[in-house]
Formats: sequence, C-alpha cells, structure tokens
Amino acid sequence: MTDLITRPAPPEQTLSERLLTTQAPQRPQSTPVIRVEVDGRLVEGREGQTILEVCRDNGIEIPTLCYEPKLPGFGACRMCVVEVEGEEHPPISCSREAETGMKVSTQSEPVRRLRATNLELIFSDHNAYCLPPCQNKCPSHIDIPGFLKQNAEGNWRESSRIFKRTIPFPSVLGRVCPAPCEEHCRRDEVDEAIAIRDSHRYAGDQVLKAMLNDGIDPPVPFEVQPKTGRRVAVIGSGPAGMSAAYYLLIAGHEVTVFERDGAPGGMLRYGIPQYRLPKVEVLEAEYESVTRLGGRIECNQALGRDFSLDDLQGQGFDAVLVAIGCYDTNKLGIPNEDADGVLDGLEYLQTATLGLPYPGHAGKRIVVIGGGFTSMDCTRTSVRQGAAEVTLVYRRDMKDMPASDEVHEAIEEGATAIFQAAPTRVLVGPDGKVSGVEFIRNKLGEPDASGRRRPEPAPGTEFSIECDRVLLAIGQGPDLSWFGPGSDGLTATKQRRLKADAVTFETGRPGVFGTGDVRIGAATVVAAIAEGRRSAYAVDAFVKGLDLSALKTRQTLAEPQPEFLSIVPFTSEVKEPRYRLKAMDAELRNHSYVEYEIPYTRAEAVAESTRCLQCTCEAIGFCDLRRLGIEYGTTLPTLEPGFHAGAGYRSVSENRFTGTNHDYIRDDSHAFILREPSRCIDCGRCAQVCSEVVGAACYDFMRIGFDTLVTTPLDMSLNDSPCVSCGRCAETCPTGALMPKPRVLQKYEVDESRCILCGICVDACPYDALRDGGDFELAHASRQEPTIDLMALAMVDRETEMTYIRRERDWLDRARADGRIVDPGRLLPMLPAGIVADLGTSPGNGSGHSNGHAHNK
Amino acid sequence: MTSLLKTPAAWPRPLLGKASAADPVDLDAAVKAGAFDGLKKAVRTLAPAGVVAEIRASGLRGRGGAGFPTADKWQVAAATPADRRYVVANGYGADPAVRTDALLMEMNPYGLIEGVAIAAWAIGSDSAIIAVRATETEAIRRLEAAIGAAEEAGFIGADVLGSGRELMVEVRPVQGAYMLGEETVLLKALEGKRGQPEQRPPHPAERGLFSRPTVVQNIQTLVLAAWILREGAAAFRAIGSPDAPGTILVQVRGTAGSGIAEVPLGTPLRVILELAGKNAAAPRALLVGGPSGGILPAELLDTPYSFAELRAIGAHVGSGSIVATGTNADVLELAELLTRFCAGEACGKTIPCRIGTRRLEEIATRINAGTPRPTDADLLVELSADIVASALCDHERLTTLPLSSVMRYFRPELDAKLQPVAEHTAGRQRIAVADGERRTEAPTA
Repeated sequence: MTDLITRPAPPEQTLSERLLTTQAPQRPQSTPVIRVEVDGRLVEGREGQTILEVCRDNGIEIPTLCYEPKLPGFGACRMCVVEVEGEEHPPISCSREAETGMKVSTQSEPVRRLRATNLELIFSDHNAYCLPPCQNKCPSHIDIPGFLKQNAEGNWRESSRIFKRTIPFPSVLGRVCPAPCEEHCRRDEVDEAIAIRDSHRYAGDQVLKAMLNDGIDPPVPFEVQPKTGRRVAVIGSGPAGMSAAYYLLIAGHEVTVFERDGAPGGMLRYGIPQYRLPKVEVLEAEYESVTRLGGRIECNQALGRDFSLDDLQGQGFDAVLVAIGCYDTNKLGIPNEDADGVLDGLEYLQTATLGLPYPGHAGKRIVVIGGGFTSMDCTRTSVRQGAAEVTLVYRRDMKDMPASDEVHEAIEEGATAIFQAAPTRVLVGPDGKVSGVEFIRNKLGEPDASGRRRPEPAPGTEFSIECDRVLLAIGQGPDLSWFGPGSDGLTATKQRRLKADAVTFETGRPGVFGTGDVRIGAATVVAAIAEGRRSAYAVDAFVKGLDLSALKTRQTLAEPQPEFLSIVPFTSEVKEPRYRLKAMDAELRNHSYVEYEIPYTRAEAVAESTRCLQCTCEAIGFCDLRRLGIEYGTTLPTLEPGFHAGAGYRSVSENRFTGTNHDYIRDDSHAFILREPSRCIDCGRCAQVCSEVVGAACYDFMRIGFDTLVTTPLDMSLNDSPCVSCGRCAETCPTGALMPKPRVLQKYEVDESRCILCGICVDACPYDALRDGGDFELAHASRQEPTIDLMALAMVDRETEMTYIRRERDWLDRARADGRIVDPGRLLPMLPAGIVADLGTSPGNGSGHSNGHAHNK
Repeated sequence: MTSLLKTPAAWPRPLLGKASAADPVDLDAAVKAGAFDGLKKAVRTLAPAGVVAEIRASGLRGRGGAGFPTADKWQVAAATPADRRYVVANGYGADPAVRTDALLMEMNPYGLIEGVAIAAWAIGSDSAIIAVRATETEAIRRLEAAIGAAEEAGFIGADVLGSGRELMVEVRPVQGAYMLGEETVLLKALEGKRGQPEQRPPHPAERGLFSRPTVVQNIQTLVLAAWILREGAAAFRAIGSPDAPGTILVQVRGTAGSGIAEVPLGTPLRVILELAGKNAAAPRALLVGGPSGGILPAELLDTPYSFAELRAIGAHVGSGSIVATGTNADVLELAELLTRFCAGEACGKTIPCRIGTRRLEEIATRINAGTPRPTDADLLVELSADIVASALCDHERLTTLPLSSVMRYFRPELDAKLQPVAEHTAGRQRIAVADGERRTEAPTA
C-alpha cells in the first residue's frame, strides 16, 4: 500500500520556478532529447516541451493567437491545432507534450480548414477594420491618415516623407491624380470627403519650394542603403520608370534611365497639359529627387531605335526594367478613319503640351472622341489654342466617364459635351478633308465587367456634327514593334501588352522586367507609380540574388489587400465642409497655360487636413489576426462595385458566418493604454499576463456565452483598475484591442546634477530601462532590499515584476555556475541587454541590481 | 420535489437502497444496514491497490455522462507522484431540469461518504470535497450532518478506522452555471477561479485541483464503489449490461408522468419511459442526455440505455435525463431552443464555442423563421464538424448534438424548412453572389 502513495513529492513550485520549467528557452540542457517527426522532417526537442515549443525551436511555424510565450499554453484560440497520427481529434500544440515517435503535420488540409473556420468565426464578430478605405482604395496604398496628421501639425516635410514611402512625387500626383481615395473617404459620412489630393499637393509644394529657394534636399522616405554595385537600366522616364528608379536608388543600386524623347517625363510631360502640370516648376523639380539620389537620365535613347536589350545586358546592367508606357492610340474601326483632318489625340497633345501651337488649329471646329483624361486634355487644350468650337463626344453616360470630374470645367471654358453617342463614320468633303462625323445615340444596357452600363446603339438615332478636325482619344496600347532580334525572348499578352508577372514582374527574358502601362495597359499615373514601386522590390530582390518566388508571399502580406471597413457610423463629429481649391475664372484660364487651380493657403491646408477622422487601426502592421486572415484567405477581397449598392460597404464581419456582432465602447480613460474592445478576440493573453506575470489582474473574462469579453472588473475604466501602467497587456495583445497610446512625450530628461543616487527609479522601473552602472556609489553598498513603497506594485501580494526579474537573474547566475552554456538569443526578451550581451563571454559579470551593489571600485 | 418512480421489484437498487430509511442521517440505522462495511474491507483487508483491482474487476464506469472506467482514473491518480491528492465528488448536477444527484445525496448520504472515503483510501488522499449545488439546501444539510456523525464514529476524520490515515471531507456548496458539469471547470470553480475548462491531457487524475492529482467522480459512481466493496465485484457485474454493469439514476419526463428511477444500464428506452406511465401514442421524439442531448425518433425506443449504445445513435447519457415530446412537437424548434441554451451557457474561452455555437443557434433560428440563407444547410454540417474537431471541452462538442441529431433523423422536416420563402430571395441572392466571388477571386498583389 505504501508503494502506491508514499512517493517523494515535488517541492512546492513558485510561479517563476514553474515558468522556468515550462518554457522552451529555460529547459535545462540536461533534459533528455526526444525526436518527433514534423511534416515529414525529423526534429529534436527536449522532454516536457510542447509540440509548439519543439516546432518553434526548429523554425517550424504554427499559427497562434492566444499563446503567450512567457506562460503555459492556454488553449483558447484553437489556431495551433495540429494533426497527430493516430488521434481522432487534432490536439492543440501549445498544450500537448511532444513525445518521441509522434508524427505531427502542421499544415495538412484538415487543420488548415479548422484554422480558417476559426478565423472566419472571429471575423464574424470583429466589429473593426484594418485600413481606412482611402488607403485601401489608393492603388499605391499611401498612408493617408499618416500624412494628413503631419499636415494638420504643419510638418510638411514629414508629411511628404510619409507620402514618399509609397509615391515619390507628391506634387505631381497632387495635380494629376484622379484621387480614387476621396471617393471612399469616410468623412463623407459626416459632411464631405477630405481633399486628400490637394492636401499632399500643398505639402509636396512646400518641399519643392524649400528645394528651389533654399536648396534643401527633399526628404527621403527610407535610409539610403550603401552602394551595392549592382546596375539597373530603366527604359522610360514616365511615372512607372521614375518611381522604380527612385526606390532602386534608395536600395543602393546604380540606376540609369533611358528616355526616347528629348526630356524626361513620358506621359507626364507629353500627355498632360501645362495648365494641369507645370513642367518646369513641378515636374522637373520633383524629378530632381531622383537625380539627387544619383540617378542618371539619358534622353534621346529609344529602345529598338538606339539600343536593344542585348546592348543593355551586354553593357553589364544586372537588370533591365521596361517601362515604356502606352503610346499607340487605338483605332475606331469606322469608315474614313484615316481621312485628312483625323488626328491622333496623343500626337496632338505632344506638340501642344510643349506650349507650341498645333498647326492650323486656331479657328477650327473640333470634335474630340473619347472620355478619358486624354480626351479631356485634348478638349481643353483645343480651347486654349483658339479653336472656334470644341465638342466632346463620349459613348457612355457622364457618371461613367473616367474624367467626369473635369467635364464641368471644360464646359465652363466653352466646350460642348455630348454623352451616349458613338461615331459611325467620318464624313469627308469633296476636297478629301474631314467635314463632319456621323454619330448614333446609345442606350445603356446591362452593366459590364467594369460595373458600368454597356452602351448599345439605338437604331434610327443617327445625327452628325460638322467639323474640320477630329481628335481621337479612345485609349492607347503599348508599342511593341521593338520585339525581335536583339530584344527577343519577350512575349505579348492577348491584349497586346508586354507579358510580365504581376508580382515578380519577370518577363520571358531572364533579367528583364516589365512594369507600368506597358504591362497593364493605359492607366492612371498613380497606378503606374504603384507598378513602378512594386517592380522595384522585385528587381531589387533579383539583383540581390534572392528567391523571387518567396517575394509573392512577402508582397501579398506587404500590400494592404483586405477590405476591412467599419460598419460603425460616425455620429458625433462636428460638421465642417471641405476646403476647396479655387479655380481661376474660365475667361482668364481658357487662353492660358498657367495652372488654373489656386493652391491652398497654409491655414487652409492645415484646416483641411485636420478634418481627417484618422479612421485607421493603430495595430496595422503588427496585428496577428490580420496576418493570419490574409494567410488563410479569410479576409475580404478588394472593394468590388457590386458590393456597395444598398447595404453600404461590406465590412470585415461579413463572411459565411455573418450574424449578430458586438460593438463596444472605446476606453480612452487611461493615460498610456488605449482599449478598443471591439477589436478584442477574447484570447485572454492580457488577462493571463496581467495576473500571472505582472500580478495586477486588471483583466478577466466577463459574462458568459457569446457575450463573453475579456475586460476589466465590471467593465470599469482601465484607469480605475489596479493597473500599474507597465504596458505588458498592450505588448501581448495580438490585435489592436490594447494599444500603447500615442504620446507626445517621447523621452525623459534626467538632470544628473540633481540625482542623489537613491536608486528608487532603478528599483521601480518594470522594464529595467534604468540600471546601476559599474561605478555605483559606495555609500549605498550596505543598502538592503528596497524598503520603499512601490505603491500599486506593493498592493499586490503576488509575484511582482520586480521579483520575477530578480529570480530570473538568480537563475542565470546558477546556470553560469553550473557551466551550462546558454544561447543568448533564446533568452526571454525582457532580460536586460547587458546581461544578454555578457553571456558566454565574461561569466559572472552580473549587472543586475541584486548583485550590482557588490561591484564597487 | 421530484417523485421517485416505482421500478420492478426484481431490479436491484445499489444506489438508493432497498427501501428509503425513515431518517437517512441516522448513522446507527445505516451501519446496521451495511454502511461502511465496504470501507472497513478496504482499510482492513485490501490495500489501495486491492481496492483499485476490485473496482477494475467490477467494470464500474463513471456515471457523469462519459462512462470512463473508474479504476483507470484511480490508478493514474495513485501512480502520479504528488505531495497531495484530492477526491472531488461531483454532486453539482449541471442540468437545471434534473434532480437525480440531489435526490441521491438526500436519500443515501452515508453511501456517498463511504464511496468518497474508499476513493481517498485507494489514491492516498487526505482531503475530499463534495460539490453540491448551493440551492439544494436539504441535501447539504443532510450531508453535513452525516459527515459530522461519520467523523465522530471514526469512519472518516483524523484517523480513518484506526489506520492512522486522515481524511477530511467537506461539503462545498457551489453556485454557477451549466458549464460546471465539465470536470475541469468544476475544479477551477473550487479553486476560486472563473469556471473555464483546461486542455486535457493532462487529465485531472494527473494534474487537477491546485495542480495535484485529483479524482473527480460523479456521486453515483462513488456510491456504487462503496456497494461494490461491500457486495463484491461479481455481484455488481451481474447487474446491467456486460460492458457497462450496474445501475444508474434517470429522470424521465413523459406526457403521462415524470420522476426519477434507478435502472440497470442496458434497459431499453421504452421500458424506462413506461416507468413514468404508458402513452397511447408514440412520442414525436425523445431527448436523451439533457440540454446537449440527442433528439431521437420513436423508432429508436428499443435502444438499450447504455453509454456505448447511446453514443452510437447520436445521443449520450449526459445528465441522465430522458424527455419524451408530445406527438406534434416541432423537433427543429426544440433543437434551436437547446442550442440556444448551450450556446448561452458557454464559458467563452474558445472561439468555436463562444462564436461557433452562437452561429449554430443563428442558423437554427433562421431556418425556423423561414429565412434560411442558401448556404445554411451546408454551413450547419461544416460548422458542426469543425466545432467538434477543434473543441476544447465536451460542452462545445455536445452543443452540436441536438442539431446534428435532427439532421440525422429528421431530414424531411429540415429540408421542408430550408425551402426558400419568396420575399427573402433578393437578399439571399446578394449573399450568394458575394460568396461566389469570394471563392473564385484569387488574391492578387
């Protein structure tokens, strides 16, 4: 009978001792080794480790949300489920001990499905979102709330720096961007959308002014990397090519840009008129930010005419990026299209944008066909060049016109606009010259792939317009005539564009990449710049010899893809309408190539940016839920036109489980920690860390069933809880439910001349931000353990942070004395840097407080 | 008070005794009837290992619902090195509609105390807790009086039957929720923490109350253990079915009457149901196992009432409750009601339980309201399967049971309710489009 019951009992374990034996890094090296097969790979762990610990030690990733490495597994999120051969229900790896001979698969289809279901369930009750809609909708995903916030504080330089992280040209884009972001601005729910474009225009202009007037270099978004010695050739100096060059230069590569025409800019220079984008003050000035980084631009060098891809690669360029844009105007396919007087709109603009009058344009009657930005530029330039009569004809409805914003301005300037009419033939006079165009009225049919209603000709509604000239602006495609000998190995897509991968930008020819309009077809400037930036990442990875296939995952994670919109309405905001840019009078501007929009004053720019609601999640970038949501494909795809009809925007909580969800009130009471319970996923990490590690116990699960929430006792404000402001909860929170509050104070100043070396700050600091130095004062050598009242810390009679850290140090000393070799990288991150650095090199040099007093000079 | 149903005279009654004593707390009368004979045998002739062997020979399984072999549990608890071990008698009776456990404690307090003492002796525990629902004041009163008398007589207390071993037995009134039926949750509650389950393994027998080996047994199991030591394993094996011998308390609720009865395991459901009175017409459905039980059709009335057989047909012993519905009952509404109850009682720890069971309830509500989404039929199956597969404790696994048993046995009713109702068509189409696009659209950079 005694054999069963009188075994030697283990001694009472304190929390920290238990922690030492439950955590992977602290497991003594003398523990027997076990071998587990994970995903077909035989890995080693130590007896007593969980499957998760063994996997993490061996670099095998298992997703977790509720797992806190400092504590034993909790088992709430069910994300770390793995398959163990021979077990009916997949165990959770954070709580299951690994055993020799186990066969574990971490990525099998069934466990991935369980994780995806879990994520969908979480999202169905996640009344929050990641990205603000504006940023999401921007093709380049500029941090819009970020730069607006800087604008609101008048930090134009910092604002531009934030902008340049994704787009190098704030002033150019501030003039020519169609601003898709503004359509989705949530300020619109309060009064009017923010003038996002005009705001970065102002900030960018201030930077340009400082550069032109005072010679101050424009800000660079990232630290310029040391020279790599790699050479990249960029063909085309349009928005795509130049933004690629910009980011490649920052990455430390040597970049040469080849330009076909006499001056850099591509469409920016030759496709967009002076009155919209001043060429010298804005375009050339802003392009200087590329040349100031060391970029070289060689003009009058055309691909296929002056050089071939073979030539470039023969000259030692490690990579070639083709960004030649779209210059071949599409054809209408109607009779007499080639008649004298029918002009290519682009060709017309090319001459006109140089400020030269196009021969014989003045006094003529002009018909412009098309609805894009080119057609608008043709129309308004024709007005400025003194045409007698300018008529714009577009086949769809006005609201479906890409350049619809400018229509009223063109009409103000004297042009006529006709919608829902398509040309059927060009009328030719006896002299063989154009005498007019016959059109047919269109009715609008079913919506097509773009969500716009398809125009269908209505028979019997033909009419004609008399004119002397027709400008065609119905879209362009890339000129690919340079394909062939010297530049072979490339292929075209069905739409006759350069075939290149959407993520790696690789073409069929090794070392040659394609980006911008030549790859995606004629698009907006902002889309081209986004292309350029992303292709720069790919080229950078290529010339560094990195694995391009791995780029796919990285880019998918880096690009803010998921559509996360709140459904919580704004109700209490004060209404303050948008500050609009004033335009010059039409009378003045339709004879002038001067920029017709009058920029903001400083006060207006600040006021407009202040209107931003900053509706972004502070946790974006380090939210585990978002990362896993993207990885498991459980987040929503980009905004589709079909979804915002009727029910408003789709929200993050909309998936197959959509049902009731919670909308909690934000707790703003605490000085350092922001609580946003709507973003809480009830993983319980804060509750665990707060009670088990810190000892304050500010959080726990409250209520039952679906309404369970990890919150403060009785939902009191955090400020009234026993919080010691250590920030551990915000640190451990996997989402943005608990966040360190943004604070103005960033650094404390210590006046050492007044310090009496009492050591209280050293004792009280939960993070060891302050420590005793090696020459700590003699007089305090005999001082015993601190007797000061640690206030809130002392109220808690459990293991405090302080004693925890101290025990950890004691353990460390013991480990050293035993001669156990410890890899510093595996220690708890909270260990003071000094200790970690010392390990293994100079044993016994404890810099911790507990033995620091003995170190006297 | 729930009445005790009359059972055939031939049925043995190891739990409730041959006839209820005039005063169940009268120790002398109880001892005269054989109380503590089993404990004496355990302490004086059988070593702890012998007790475990005897229980193993009897084939006793836990009456808490899952039917785990009792001897295995005791063996593990005894073999796990520890400075202290605990015995927890679960008399909480989580199902709010069932009073079997309270009735047993009221009628046979000494049987329970003896069983607790035997378990403690077998695993080497000096401390036992009997958890009782705080509202069962009569059971608490009688147990406390009985513990006092047994201590005075030396059956338990500082020196158990002169063996030199100590055993303190404590009655702990617990207030709480349905979840306390889960053993790890009950242990948390006894530690004074929020009642949330812990991942098993380790099972409480290895690491339970205050991280020490703990034997958690339903009180019926302990009373039966005392009976086995007194009467012998062979006598116990003679009762009930071969794979699960012995008797169990059930609470029957039929249209003709209701009450509690002690029945041998393996008795057909029909026979048990008729203890409460014969019905003219067969019930529409049977709910077996309490709120998280299975909803069974009348055709399965001949199923034997035992752990394995019930599990095979998608029900379980659970709280020992058997409810027969009327002839016109709407099984889907019943399933919705049960799912709502279980989802609402979730402790909120895991995602599949807190949100998943709530979504099950919402699906059931939509189906019953005639507004199902076109995906709901599949969703019900997929979600139930995923909840079971990734569940932490039995509560969330079993919460899927009412709906999945309806899917299994009442498919025509379900299909009829899944038919679309005209005015909701538009809304459904929108979601269908959304779902379709979600699936087909590959993520692009």
